[in-house]
Amino acid sequence: MSLFPKITQRLCGLPSPLSIVNASKSLSCGLHTSAWHGAKFSDDQGGRTWFLRNEKVFPPQKPGEEPRPAFVCHMRSNVRGNYKNMWYQACFVRGMTIDEALKQLSFQRKQFCADIKEVLLEAQEKAVKEQGVEFKSNLWIAESFISKGSHIKGMRRHARMRMGEIRYQYNHYYVRLEEGKPPANVYNPKPSGEEMLQEWLERMRNRYVRISF
Amino acid sequence: MLEIFQNLTPNMCVLIPAVVSSNVQQQQIRTTINKHYNPQFRKHRGAKIIKIDLPDLTKEKDDEMSPERMRSKMKEKGLQPPRPWNERNFYISNSGGVFEPYVPPEGDGKLSAVTVKGAKQKLEFVEKKGKSMMAVRKIKSYDDDFTLKDFVQDATEIYKNAHEALMNFRTDKEKLEEFVTEKAYVEMTENAKYKTVSWKFHQSLSPPKVVHARTNSVVSKDNLFAQVTVRFHTQQSLCIYDRFGRKIYGDENLVKDVLEYVVFEKHITEQYGSWRVHHKIIPDWMPASEPIPRTFRKPEPLPDLPDQPEDEDKSSDSSSKPDVAIATA
Repeated sequence: MSLFPKITQRLCGLPSPLSIVNASKSLSCGLHTSAWHGAKFSDDQGGRTWFLRNEKVFPPQKPGEEPRPAFVCHMRSNVRGNYKNMWYQACFVRGMTIDEALKQLSFQRKQFCADIKEVLLEAQEKAVKEQGVEFKSNLWIAESFISKGSHIKGMRRHARMRMGEIRYQYNHYYVRLEEGKPPANVYNPKPSGEEMLQEWLERMRNRYVRISF
Repeated sequence: MLEIFQNLTPNMCVLIPAVVSSNVQQQQIRTTINKHYNPQFRKHRGAKIIKIDLPDLTKEKDDEMSPERMRSKMKEKGLQPPRPWNERNFYISNSGGVFEPYVPPEGDGKLSAVTVKGAKQKLEFVEKKGKSMMAVRKIKSYDDDFTLKDFVQDATEIYKNAHEALMNFRTDKEKLEEFVTEKAYVEMTENAKYKTVSWKFHQSLSPPKVVHARTNSVVSKDNLFAQVTVRFHTQQSLCIYDRFGRKIYGDENLVKDVLEYVVFEKHITEQYGSWRVHHKIIPDWMPASEPIPRTFRKPEPLPDLPDQPEDEDKSSDSSSKPDVAIATA
């Protein structure tokens, strides 16, 4: 234990006093670490410009124009979970209607899926209350992605006086709900045989022989 | 089920072919089992990991905690509360409310000037009313050039300028503050923050009239505010677009008759005080404005608490009004 070097982290900004003390009492063993976990998390709350998208006012539309679909941007910072596993879940709900997404997420086996579900429900409420969406089921998930947040490093013992690092990962989850029906394909669909043939033909016909008679 | 798992070796994978349709996931896909083949040393393996109290950042956020909860948490940790050192000056630039609001007579604006009743209504001068007359005299003592006739013209201009400034208030905040007091600023802009308002003043149906005047002091006796209520009977058109540019109320070409009682306020004891729109009096007998086309779910009624204070609603008692969404623009 005494061989292990000190872990110190820089304090940036002004964290809340509670979060500082929270972190200082986090390690029950006698190992010394700097107590600034709280500082890390209060600084890193994810992309702050995401919520600003809810405040942009579009100019009035002309009478003949198709009505612009309403949308709401919502996020939750510091959801605990493995980044790579969470990425799969974020991709999973993309392009689904809100009801379908909520149904599917309740049967997923990961802990952070409950958090994602809560975020979707909050976003749905926001859409109805603040963004003027009339029917709460008339929403689909246009954008759903994650970004890395601060991580906490823990330790584990290995054989022969060696130590290993365990990372407890936190991520920020962003979602944008849009009013209306989702498109048929959110991800690029695999082209059918006919389409592939046409593409090949076009490529062949576009060939140009340079320096010829 | 348990016997199956006890006989498995680490090299075995349990793969159940799953039919994953687009709508329903019928069977769970399981890959390798995350379980050590020898359960005898489970506790020792668990003891290798140094336990950490991980903060649950999604449950209770610092800014969402009530002050009592924050206090009890800090007490647990042995922390003293932070001492605030901010000293901010504040300046009273408008009185918070209306002094003895004018009660408009019922049937106002419906009688023509040719009938007996209508003529009587027209002749109700502010000069004949005692308190209002005294208030006007008080205003004149601070402002020599003040006459009701000139004031009425200025009031119309201020009213028009205020509404025009409201249309562009996101880009030009200071302009609206020039024509509107801080109390009215909040009431006008709160719901219009993420909307586009298109307002047009067409004409005055009858000349604007001063119907009420009061003065009152705030905090100290020599800090006087004057409030004058003007009756406007005009033709206006209003169209409101939501954040996405979709029309949600009114129409650009629809002209409506509007009868309003607007309270203007001035800080008369201040050298740079000016008349500004302060409040609009909506009488009980006024019919409700047109409901918005959008539908919404009726919010569930809050449980009745014994000591619940009465909410001050801008539009008076809601029990008499129909259960319909009213645009509060």
